[in-house]
Amino acid sequence: MKIKSAFSTRDTAQASVSELSGALAPLDPKMVLFFASTKYAPESICQLMQNAFPQAQVIGCSTSGEITSGRMFNNGIAAMAFSAEAIQDLSIQVVEDLHDEKALSGAFAAFEAHFQTPMAALNPAEYVGLLLIDGLAGAEETLIETIGDLTNTIFIGGSAGDDLKFAATHVYANGKSHRHAAILALLKPGVEFTFIKTQSFRDLGKTLEVTKADETRREVIEFNGKPAAAGYAEAVGTTVDKAPESFMRNPVGLFIDGEPYVRSPQQIQGNSILFYCGVVEGMELSLLESTDMIQDTRQAIEQAREELGDISGIINFNCILRTLELTQKNLTADYGKLFADFPTVGFSTYGEQFIGHINQTATMLVFK
Amino acid sequence: MAGKIKEMIDLIVRQRADGNPMLERVIKSKLMLKGVNPKKFDSNTPDDPAILQKLERMMHTLK
Repeated sequence: MKIKSAFSTRDTAQASVSELSGALAPLDPKMVLFFASTKYAPESICQLMQNAFPQAQVIGCSTSGEITSGRMFNNGIAAMAFSAEAIQDLSIQVVEDLHDEKALSGAFAAFEAHFQTPMAALNPAEYVGLLLIDGLAGAEETLIETIGDLTNTIFIGGSAGDDLKFAATHVYANGKSHRHAAILALLKPGVEFTFIKTQSFRDLGKTLEVTKADETRREVIEFNGKPAAAGYAEAVGTTVDKAPESFMRNPVGLFIDGEPYVRSPQQIQGNSILFYCGVVEGMELSLLESTDMIQDTRQAIEQAREELGDISGIINFNCILRTLELTQKNLTADYGKLFADFPTVGFSTYGEQFIGHINQTATMLVFK
Repeated sequence: MAGKIKEMIDLIVRQRADGNPMLERVIKSKLMLKGVNPKKFDSNTPDDPAILQKLERMMHTLK
């Protein structure tokens, strides 16, 4: 076995880490990835996890729900261990200040020194990046876009959660907890890998062009030359007052190669709409309608399995809005079962990253 | 002046993808997420300083 997952819902961090250690330490992991509820004190959980796997590089973040093989759950910790066969080499860097461009330059310089290759020259078929980022800093777009400018290597990841308290999220690396920060892990897997980006929406054929926006606030001021709230409500066929009731079922998406990159409305403020991720003037967004998440996710996993031949592990960054929809529809057990046949680790995120920053999506890294 | 945006988009895609179709798709996706849809620009498109600045930044960053 190259990759193994485990979970625990014990009351104390010590008991949970002890349970995980018993399950995962026999793999002699080179890397351990964990996602933990905020019921565990941040400083404590990251230190205990590092102590439990002293030979491994250990990274993780806080969550709003966890995912393991066969189940979604809350108030626990999910972890995945990778052997040296699964991850041949890796480097972990912390971007301490998300608003300092030089901080990312420093992380990339460290990657180049470690792998002895310029980041711009890395073969994206041989390397992959993981990104775990503060979920409340509102800095995901800038970071993932700058990463994308600097390298062709794909970085995939999620924004940390805090059990829907929206107070403080945490990212962890090698025994330390960080806020307003991001963990970057550049991996050289020893096995083939692929990506899943799945969202469950269909195009309703109505275009909302962003004609005025405040990109720094994730605010659309005008759609199609009209106040954004009125433009959205008109497209949905409702009133401005009732428009927020449609946000989860009818987000908007930027279509690229036939697939939406979802931007989810958060709230109406004045005549504007605030979103959970970046919107740029000139973007032509399509009004979407939700479809069958279980069926779509099953199909995406099956496609990945066909592509790779087999699956030895899945890291799942699943949007909290998807989790809330699954919970509303009493489908969390069905969603968990989709991952019953594979070692899986994941969490409910405050945002997902794959090439860009997106919402209401599951981004997954899948290993053969 | 016109056509410079398309020229820069083509240059970025050519330099960065180096003929790899998968990378071409990824780079075009990155451009679209920045608000620059490659399909909307041709040799007659007027040069928009704001868009040119985004593209120049992208070219500069990779160097």
